[in-house]
Amino acid sequence: MSEVHLTINGLQVTAQSGQTILEAARAAGIDIPTLCHHPMLSNHGACRMCLVEVKGMRTLQTACTCPVAEGMEVQTETDEINECRKFSLELLFSERNHYCMFCQVSGDCELQALAYRYGLDHWRYPRPYEKMAVDASDPYIIMEPNRCILCTRCIRACAEIVANHTLGLRERGSATMVMADLDVPLGQSSCVECGVCLQVCPTGALIDARSAYGGHAEEVTHTQTTCMQCSVGCQLDVISRSTRILRIHGVWNTEPGGGLLCVDGRFRPLYETRERIAQPLVRDHGKLVPAGWTEALAIVAKKLKSGRVLGLASGATSNEALVAFAGLMAQVGGKAGQTMPALPTLGFGQPAAVQDILATDYIIVAGANPLVYQKVVGYLIRRAADRGTPVALIDVPRGGLEASAVLSVSGQYAATVTEQAAQAQAPLIIYSVGLKPGVARALKPLAHARWLALAPGRNSLGARAAGLAPLEGHDLTSSRFDVLFFLLGEGSEEGGVMPRLDGAFKIVQTAYRSPLAEEADVVLPAPIWAERSGHVTNLEGKTLPLNPVVPMPDGVRDEAEVLDTLRTMM
Amino acid sequence: MPLDFTKPTPPSDDKRWKLVQATMRRWGNHHDALIETLHTVQESFGYLDNDALTYVAAALRVPLSRAYGVATFYHFFRLKPAGKHTCVVCTGTACYIKGADQILESIRQAYDVKPGETTADGQISVLTARCLGACGLAAAVVYDGEVAGKQDAASTLERLGKWVEQ
Ligand code: SF4
Ligand code: SF4
Ligand code: SF4
Ligand code: FES
Repeated sequence: MSEVHLTINGLQVTAQSGQTILEAARAAGIDIPTLCHHPMLSNHGACRMCLVEVKGMRTLQTACTCPVAEGMEVQTETDEINECRKFSLELLFSERNHYCMFCQVSGDCELQALAYRYGLDHWRYPRPYEKMAVDASDPYIIMEPNRCILCTRCIRACAEIVANHTLGLRERGSATMVMADLDVPLGQSSCVECGVCLQVCPTGALIDARSAYGGHAEEVTHTQTTCMQCSVGCQLDVISRSTRILRIHGVWNTEPGGGLLCVDGRFRPLYETRERIAQPLVRDHGKLVPAGWTEALAIVAKKLKSGRVLGLASGATSNEALVAFAGLMAQVGGKAGQTMPALPTLGFGQPAAVQDILATDYIIVAGANPLVYQKVVGYLIRRAADRGTPVALIDVPRGGLEASAVLSVSGQYAATVTEQAAQAQAPLIIYSVGLKPGVARALKPLAHARWLALAPGRNSLGARAAGLAPLEGHDLTSSRFDVLFFLLGEGSEEGGVMPRLDGAFKIVQTAYRSPLAEEADVVLPAPIWAERSGHVTNLEGKTLPLNPVVPMPDGVRDEAEVLDTLRTMM
Repeated sequence: MPLDFTKPTPPSDDKRWKLVQATMRRWGNHHDALIETLHTVQESFGYLDNDALTYVAAALRVPLSRAYGVATFYHFFRLKPAGKHTCVVCTGTACYIKGADQILESIRQAYDVKPGETTADGQISVLTARCLGACGLAAAVVYDGEVAGKQDAASTLERLGKWVEQ
């Protein structure tokens, strides 16, 4: 890349060859309005908002697509340019329905903001009153085609960011419309509800079903925190007003996911249906009844001192809570571990980061199912495949990745994959709990490979670091325990190893009612993801921060604080 | 067999799928062959239905949305079986001025079909074309491949009426 010198509005600007005028201007702090352009997406050049004047060129140029050249003289705000921009806006407003006062995203709309900026107080052309059906078939995303300006940001996002290719355009000319698959309702399409289309749509054409009519963007708080729903640890921009969470966006250009989220991180936490536990519960005459913290902790402390204790952590909690839990268990001389299965080791190669998926020349997925359990990793693998990176699957269940794979084999044929990958400069092995020792051996000739181990569950690496190793079945059955202490966080007990519950005194520290909580003798309430401070450790082994978005309900206390209190009572 | 990587199977054992597969093979099953393949499907089956689009998309590893986008972008492709007869109304500038829209409106009122549709009884497909190059004959309508000039609503309905009577 070489340096290119140009002037923008008379200012000397140095840019890199290959950059567009828009990129060069933004890097120099000069604002050019855009609508179809999005910094995370390929350039499209459809909306004409970014028109600029380039000396010597016959017509105005679209800054988002026009590459810089040595000696260029660019003007971004002449009368002619502003007239053209206003006219483009007028045309956009003349088509479909842009009556902002009835729009769910009024105040949070790029089209509306530009109309204010260019003083578009009326439009001259009658709009054709064709009414298009609103598609509310998806639980999270409403498609309102009457407000679509056909910028194709959503289509590019679906193809280029999540690599799902659900969205496309149908027809042409004035009949052109955004649609899913074979023009089916979104809720019945191949959409994986990652919501990235929603995040990039500049208008009210894609609406977040939950926060519709949530009010103006200026009145909200943005909090960056880490998603706790799986071990990837994507960065969330949580948008809230006072104590209500409106919606969740991904944070562009952050590791690990780059700003992409999945349905488990973006939508499901806001649609939680489990009943929250907001004060300690103790069993009294066979029933769980509310109790004060002092009473509940006194009972727990007494029990912990009175017998053999087994502590089980689910990993759906912070590193701080896990460390405090391990400390408490050590202090009472109990056995403690996590309920998540053990993650095998490969025995060779160097660790990689999630973003390395996009920077490798051969991907092997072994004994893992990322499209189900670590979805953003799965999407990045598909994105790499779209760019031409060969993807080979070993012991990967059917369910999506095979459509991106060049090869899919069961473990006994792993050597075939090794052969194929041998030519690669920087092969990447992505594996999880399903990696068989035989497969690891068969891959061993790829000594120069890097690996990404997909930790099961949520914060199982944080639990590991706190000294809570995976418990095996025989750990639980080899001896009887008098007291069982579950650090469940906001998880559910399914999926992990579980001891027999009969006989022992059961303490459960959890955020939600669940079958396990119902069997407990004492239930201690815990915070959920949006209320936590502290850290988690993601599958790359990075420590990522948790920042509270909303306060804990009265009666809930942070687990680490409760566990430390218990330690002082021992 | 170490590879459990399977190729999609055609929607039916109709022999005509062999032709479609041959086209895809000729282009190395590359996704660039989408338009050629859809051509073959339409030549062989007369139109592209969802099963055909789904199969071709899977075989060429093209997203469904792209296959559908291409199939609806080009007026040449049809997604429904053609009627027994076709009536193509030219909507180029000259024909438009000479009342092509009135011809279409009269057909819509008489048969309840819009351009791109086929009557419920499968008799007549109505299509439009952007300029047949017969501007001197405006308004032009093509009845089953035969160009007729100086048409209006009445003459068009008369021609269509003969088809329906037969
Ligand atoms: S939610 Fe994700 S997968 Fe679904 S249409 Fe939008 S971008 Fe595509
Ligand atoms: S739905 Fe939104 S993002 Fe997609 S084309 Fe329409 S306006 Fe653009
Ligand atoms: S991949 Fe995991 S961390 Fe990322 S958004 Fe989805 S659930 Fe959250
Ligand atoms: S932003 Fe450049 S044309 Fe739309």
